Amino acid sequence: MYPAVELLRASVSRYSITGLYQGAVGGLNYRRLVEQDALPTVVANTLMWVIAVVGVTVVISLVLAQLLDASFPGRRVVRWAVIVPWAASLIITAKLFVWVYDYYFGALNHVLTALRLAEPVDWLGNDATVMGAMIAVGVFVSLPFTTYVLLAGLATIPGDVYEAARLDGASAWQTYRSVTLPLLGPALLVATVLNLIYVFNSFPIVWTLNDRNPGFGHDTMVTYMYKVAFKSALRDVGLAAAVGVLNLVLVLLAVVVYLRTVRWQDAQA
Amino acid sequence: MALRRPLVALLSLAACLALVSSGCSRGDANTLKVVIADYSKDHTKPFWQSLAADYTKRTGVKVDLQVIDWNSIDQQVTTMIQNNQPPDVLNLNSFSSYARDGLLYAADEVLSPQTRGDFLPAFAQGGEFRGVLYGLPILASARAFFFNKQLFAQAGVEAPPRTWNQLVTAAARIRDSGPGMIGYALPLGPEEAQAEWSIWMWNNGGDWKKGDRWTINSEQNVQTLQFLADLANRHRVTQVNPGKTNRTDGAFQLFKDGKVGMVIGFSPLAAQLDAEGKVDYGVTAMPTNEREAVTLGVQDYLMAFKKKTNREAVRQFLELYYQPDNITRWIAAEGFLPVTKAGVDRLSANAKLRPYLEVLPKARLAPTSDPVWDKVKLDVQQNIGLAVQPGGNPRQVLDGLQQRATAAAEERR
Repeated sequence: MYPAVELLRASVSRYSITGLYQGAVGGLNYRRLVEQDALPTVVANTLMWVIAVVGVTVVISLVLAQLLDASFPGRRVVRWAVIVPWAASLIITAKLFVWVYDYYFGALNHVLTALRLAEPVDWLGNDATVMGAMIAVGVFVSLPFTTYVLLAGLATIPGDVYEAARLDGASAWQTYRSVTLPLLGPALLVATVLNLIYVFNSFPIVWTLNDRNPGFGHDTMVTYMYKVAFKSALRDVGLAAAVGVLNLVLVLLAVVVYLRTVRWQDAQA
Repeated sequence: MALRRPLVALLSLAACLALVSSGCSRGDANTLKVVIADYSKDHTKPFWQSLAADYTKRTGVKVDLQVIDWNSIDQQVTTMIQNNQPPDVLNLNSFSSYARDGLLYAADEVLSPQTRGDFLPAFAQGGEFRGVLYGLPILASARAFFFNKQLFAQAGVEAPPRTWNQLVTAAARIRDSGPGMIGYALPLGPEEAQAEWSIWMWNNGGDWKKGDRWTINSEQNVQTLQFLADLANRHRVTQVNPGKTNRTDGAFQLFKDGKVGMVIGFSPLAAQLDAEGKVDYGVTAMPTNEREAVTLGVQDYLMAFKKKTNREAVRQFLELYYQPDNITRWIAAEGFLPVTKAGVDRLSANAKLRPYLEVLPKARLAPTSDPVWDKVKLDVQQNIGLAVQPGGNPRQVLDGLQQRATAAAEERR
């Protein structure tokens, strides 16, 4: 709890650009935060980033988990391969993708132009593509954890319920919809909530892939906080701490809303 | 920052932003905390480690040496000061905000008159805040205009351009000489945009300030930024999205790959080009609209932080660094330029440094003595690139910068 208390304290303080404490200012930083022109853009980016990464990750992970749960030759190797993006450092992964996406040297443009699919695209410099490019990497690094949580969930479903479904003459899709998915509920809940928090707070991917872009046009709340503190003309740790407190509130809010929605659906069912 | 567990990530981000400890600063006379920026993996740490060892042997004072990369040094130093654990000696590219906050020793308190008198006058002046020297020059660099001789020959451009018009013509010829060729690589992304911008601005007769007044949105400057936007969008002689290209992994990388006719570089780029041996390049003065070409000199600083009991220890450490043998050995190894008269004498024999040493006395510095500059620099880095994007508005971008600089200056009064 100590860091949270300190964060709160910093958010009601004023600091010089050097980091020197200059006294308490009450709610001033929060008032200034609300007045920042960039805030609506950054909040919208964050929503987009979190919803897209978590949503796509969960859908793909459901498929992947199902595949990895089936037995096939070489399953062990594939299971290990899925872990790789998780084991690599996020910064290294992000830097790797900077080169994959590069306009002049990048593998992606090489492939696209070699196959005559498209003209080269400046994936990280083009305002229309940079968020999508970041989301793709976000999904890539979130898959392993999510897949394994769901895989563990699948392993807890007893075999006899499938047998019962088969005896009742359920099709594969019916079985999945009415047996697997409901029983996977708890694992799905855990995977989604943890991803929600984790993706919201994810710093390295957005920071690294977006470092060439001026302004705050593609920042999420977490990179915005860092820029406010150290990399923009604001250079203000007090204001950044206010962003930090807002972040905490937003994450808690998102989790509560999600849990309530899920429980509400349970109640309906 | 590669944090996987969300809670840990949250808490440590919070911690890195928010630790404010109370109580007095820990000025322990038996340990000197020295924070140095990492100029190169090969030379920075070894040099300072050996200097620290030498210092400890002479004085018995231990050195807590921290070599920190440029990307995170601002953040780490801010956190140290916030936590009331400032360094004793700090190396950084800005100093005046620290001087304004009253954190630093003046040069007279920690340097002998001889050492102080040996600084080149322009650099000593660049380290002054309200007429007092606080930012001790540690090393310098000067930008120069690099061109690819082979691409020039292929495109039939005989000599490097002297004027902006010649630059446009030469760049267009190079672009047309083959597929994927780039006339001029323009990095106006956040990494170092203020340096690129300074040079173009000065070579069109503009400046950051006139007297005490900021003049970022002067007519000359609007014209200059429009020219840069035209290079990208009308003449189309730059790389794609120059407002979103950084220097190191963007413009320099393209030049090193032989795709670019011209780029503004400095001596470390020359060292990399020599090591790779792939590009046959020349180094010359900037193309200019003025009577005489102007280049940018950059100096970095050493600062001594005031604490109750550290003055003598700091003084001895600084004197040791400024011994001509030590400072020159390091500057030569890093490929930078001297800031002392003794250093110029010793390095003038070095043929590779000659083009830079020649322009050094005439190089102009950014207005680092003004604490407002520390904000203006970040503002320019974060915003000037927007002006050269398709549909960008140079005047509007400069008006914004001017307005925020003026507001910051008023706040100081």
